[in-house]
Amino acid sequence: MATTTITKTEKLVGKAMRRQEDPRLITGSATYVDDIQMPGMLHACILRSPHGAANIKSVDIAAALAHPGVAAVYVGKDTEKVGPVPCGASLPGLRVPHHYVLAIDRVYFIGHPVAVVVATDKYIARDAVDLIEVEYETLQAVTDPEKAIGPGAPPVHPEWPDNVAFNYHQEGGDVDTAFAQAEVVVKQRITSQRLIPSSMETRGVVADYNTGDKALTIWSSTQIPHLMRTLVAQMLGAPEHKVRVVTPEVGGGFGSKLNVYAEEALMGFVAMKLGQPVKWIESRRENCMCTIHGRGHVDYFEVAAKKDGTILGIKLKLIQDLGAYHQLLTPAIPTLSVLMMPGLYRCQNVRADIVGAFTNAVPTDAYRGAGRPEATHGIERMVDILAAELKMDPAEIRLKNFIHNDEFPYATGTGLSYDSGNYAAPLHKAMDLIDYHNLREEQRQARSQGRLMGIGLSTYGEICAFGPSPATPAGGWESATVKIEPSGMVTVMTGSSPHGQGEETTFAQITADELGVGIDDVIVLHGDTAIVQYGIGTFGSRGTAVGGTAVYFALQELKKKIKKYGAMLLESEEVSFSDGVCVDHKTGKSVTLAEIAGASHRAMKLPPGTQPGMVETYFWEPPNFAFPFGAHAVVTEVNRETGDIEIKRYVAVDDCGNIINPLIVAGQVHGGVVQGLGQALWEQAVYDDNGQLITGEFMDYAIPRASMIPWIETEHTVTPSPVNPLGVKGVGEAGTIGCSPAVVNSVVDALSTLGVRHIDMPMTPEKIWNLMEGARA
Amino acid sequence: MQQFEYASPASLNEALSLLGSKWGETDVLAGGTDQISLMKEYLHTPKRVVNIKGIKELHGVHHSPQGMRIGATTTFDELAMDKALAAEYPSLVTAVLGIASPQIRNMGTAGGDLCQRPRCWYFRGGYGVLALQDGKSLVPNGQNEFHAIFGGGPAYFVSPSSLGPALIALNAQVKLVSASGSRMVPVGKFFVSPQNDQSREIALMPNEILTEIVVPPARGVKNTTYEVRHKDALDWPLATASVALTMKGSSVGSARIVLGHVAPTPWVATQAEQALTGKSLSDDVIAQAADAAVADAKPLSQNVYKVQLAKVAVKRALMEAAGRA
Repeated sequence: MATTTITKTEKLVGKAMRRQEDPRLITGSATYVDDIQMPGMLHACILRSPHGAANIKSVDIAAALAHPGVAAVYVGKDTEKVGPVPCGASLPGLRVPHHYVLAIDRVYFIGHPVAVVVATDKYIARDAVDLIEVEYETLQAVTDPEKAIGPGAPPVHPEWPDNVAFNYHQEGGDVDTAFAQAEVVVKQRITSQRLIPSSMETRGVVADYNTGDKALTIWSSTQIPHLMRTLVAQMLGAPEHKVRVVTPEVGGGFGSKLNVYAEEALMGFVAMKLGQPVKWIESRRENCMCTIHGRGHVDYFEVAAKKDGTILGIKLKLIQDLGAYHQLLTPAIPTLSVLMMPGLYRCQNVRADIVGAFTNAVPTDAYRGAGRPEATHGIERMVDILAAELKMDPAEIRLKNFIHNDEFPYATGTGLSYDSGNYAAPLHKAMDLIDYHNLREEQRQARSQGRLMGIGLSTYGEICAFGPSPATPAGGWESATVKIEPSGMVTVMTGSSPHGQGEETTFAQITADELGVGIDDVIVLHGDTAIVQYGIGTFGSRGTAVGGTAVYFALQELKKKIKKYGAMLLESEEVSFSDGVCVDHKTGKSVTLAEIAGASHRAMKLPPGTQPGMVETYFWEPPNFAFPFGAHAVVTEVNRETGDIEIKRYVAVDDCGNIINPLIVAGQVHGGVVQGLGQALWEQAVYDDNGQLITGEFMDYAIPRASMIPWIETEHTVTPSPVNPLGVKGVGEAGTIGCSPAVVNSVVDALSTLGVRHIDMPMTPEKIWNLMEGARA
Repeated sequence: MQQFEYASPASLNEALSLLGSKWGETDVLAGGTDQISLMKEYLHTPKRVVNIKGIKELHGVHHSPQGMRIGATTTFDELAMDKALAAEYPSLVTAVLGIASPQIRNMGTAGGDLCQRPRCWYFRGGYGVLALQDGKSLVPNGQNEFHAIFGGGPAYFVSPSSLGPALIALNAQVKLVSASGSRMVPVGKFFVSPQNDQSREIALMPNEILTEIVVPPARGVKNTTYEVRHKDALDWPLATASVALTMKGSSVGSARIVLGHVAPTPWVATQAEQALTGKSLSDDVIAQAADAAVADAKPLSQNVYKVQLAKVAVKRALMEAAGRA
């Protein structure tokens, strides 16, 4: 064996590297669902309910069927046996309406699928949808969750006239004593409005059924290919091993594609019926109407405290707008809010009551942060309200109540175990960066000139790295396979399903470091159930913390095997492996990874008890969640004339544990903050009293544009997680969670001289102007 | 979308010969940024669509000592790029650049801006220009936050035109051509508030094509536009003001102030014009003019805020005209 020079020494973990996936994304060579073309492929278009609530008296499909180019039309009766659309969450006493893929005799929300037309091209399908005659008997709808559970509301589901899907109670410590002993109690109703996730790529499905093999392939823009395979097979009554799910490029999900929708099973049904491939691509309006919404909270908070600012107890009554059905995780989302309700504070006395309310609206479900932004918004608003009540500085009251560094792992009153933390560090850093103390002086001067300048803080925590399997429906582990090909090139197959998080890069960085190869010698494959071992998917900021850890452990197993082959080839007892070579330190001889990989595949000779080839698979079960945290600080100024809010500075200091790729982490924080700003300032899904979605397109639903976004200054503190060997926590949702309370706190601070104490989101200029007018009056 | 016959003539005469005599028979297509969505939503179901983008004489900006002629199919982007236009008519450039997005500015046309249909969601929802249900307008007790604060009734939508207010302030005219002749109409008369459900909000006849916009010279005329919008995205402004001031020394000789997006037509703020005439552009005078602009506003149940925004638009447009923006 040759003595090779060791060339590979630079570690990639921790390095800001451009993403491996970007060249194909920015040169237009990526394949999305809509790019898939197949011989004989048909196109589907779905007829949807124009009413929020109505009985279907009749459906006449004759004219649509007669339209030239139409291959088939299916209505609810045809697909009665398909499904139901699954709910993966379980709560005691949960009422679960049967969720047919097409409405049978009643529609429950605007956009509810009623019929599907399949035609030779998408335009014919769309035209033929207009030829279907549906006779509806319209019913009174209810879309406000508080009205829905109030007296006299029309029932969403006639079998449950109170519109209550579930009641959920959680309690820790001694809340009654805490409130009895309180020197001050502050109360506030706080809403987190309905939001439309608005991924850049809408949903889409291609289904192809091989009649000879009786095998179904579904291409879907999803975050969870493996779970989809299991669930869609169930919905169709198809054997799971003959269903393959492929996720091509996914243009964003934000939780909205952490789901199994009617359309996936419906397209499978169509393909199996017709024996021809079929494509359905969701329009933007359908995306607004029919893909899950996020948030939809009405929260009644009460916080008990001592006069020195010490928080004694927290009560929360939470009304969750569920929509008409449970999608995959709908009822579970508000329970996450309850888990996070104490935030970063040392308060064991907590009580929460959730009422899940059915409404005539599209279901709510996971949207970036999923329950945690709502919780953080609530507690961070309440802490500011308490500080205002006690005339304390918002930073001071936070520092006073933070869990101390020596208390980790910290058992919360809601049953979690916070893994590690140093909560004061990011707050101090954010305050230094924004020059907090001088800002307060600047604010005093601004106020003396009549200007409305505000400074807002939020210190957030979140549950990430979902999660231990007992706490995660369908399992919370993740899988990885690492293969070294005969040439020494490396293939990683992850059960995660990255769709913008950059894990093709971060996982390659981890792999390159462990194996001592270059990043371009590694390929990361995902999102095809025929190629990749079973996995869970990408959501809940779990990709790197759980999926990356599975890759890490697979690599450790693989390194054992590499060393066995290395020892055999070097005829040595003891070899070390690093930087891509096995070295016998006694003789100085070495053998490269490529040589070892080649030898393991040729298998002329095998180390004792070792199989040929170079593949290891690892399924990692995390022992706990990971709990990132951070502090955001925002300076705003309100225009007295128009109510416009200008964000003058935005500082985000996040602690997501160890950082594998700072560039990707910064990108995740930026994206998260933008979506947080969207909620704080502009976005709101609005239904009118008839159940009509009046923000059904981007003309009326105000997602932020790049030009509306301030400069975002990002910094970090690093507190490694002890939960996984990478020490990572997760960052995908952090920006969203930290953002909205910081912005609202800042604007409330700006208007506090006018007596404003709370503002619900979105803080539109009109709302702000009306507040100012009200204060003047 | 309903099936239709498509024609793409190369000459104006041929195009005119293809038009019908009643609304609903034929539609003219230029940029298509509004026309296509009207057809997709079945709000327009023409039997024939006549594309006028292939007619060369309808395209381009022409400057002469008599002023400027803008061909109907000139795109917003072409207007924005025209340096001579920018030098003489900043109020138009601001209005053009306010039109989002770049894609729309690349497709949308000057003529189309004047001929586009109302954005009122009742109109777009199929309730017609008067938003009628059972003979009554849905607007006064409905979702009216973006509706008219001036000139409401029987129509309450607001004119969506971006160029209209600035063109009126500049005393521009449009040329309307039919197979039997042509007529020049002041832009201020081109917009009309429909009095019944069947009438249109513009003076164009179904057999006519708007071929060009003629703008008088404006050298020395201080002309500005200010648009209040809440999102820098695909949307129309909430209120705008275009002003054109002829100065006599340091005081205002004559003033034109036209508000946009506040009434079924661009709205001439006569009282504000009077408040300025003969005065210098001091902060106080500007504030008085802004107050005067909205003195007669009649807001609906949900759009009081628009009164404030219209006032702010007038103030800021005048501040800019005074060189103090």
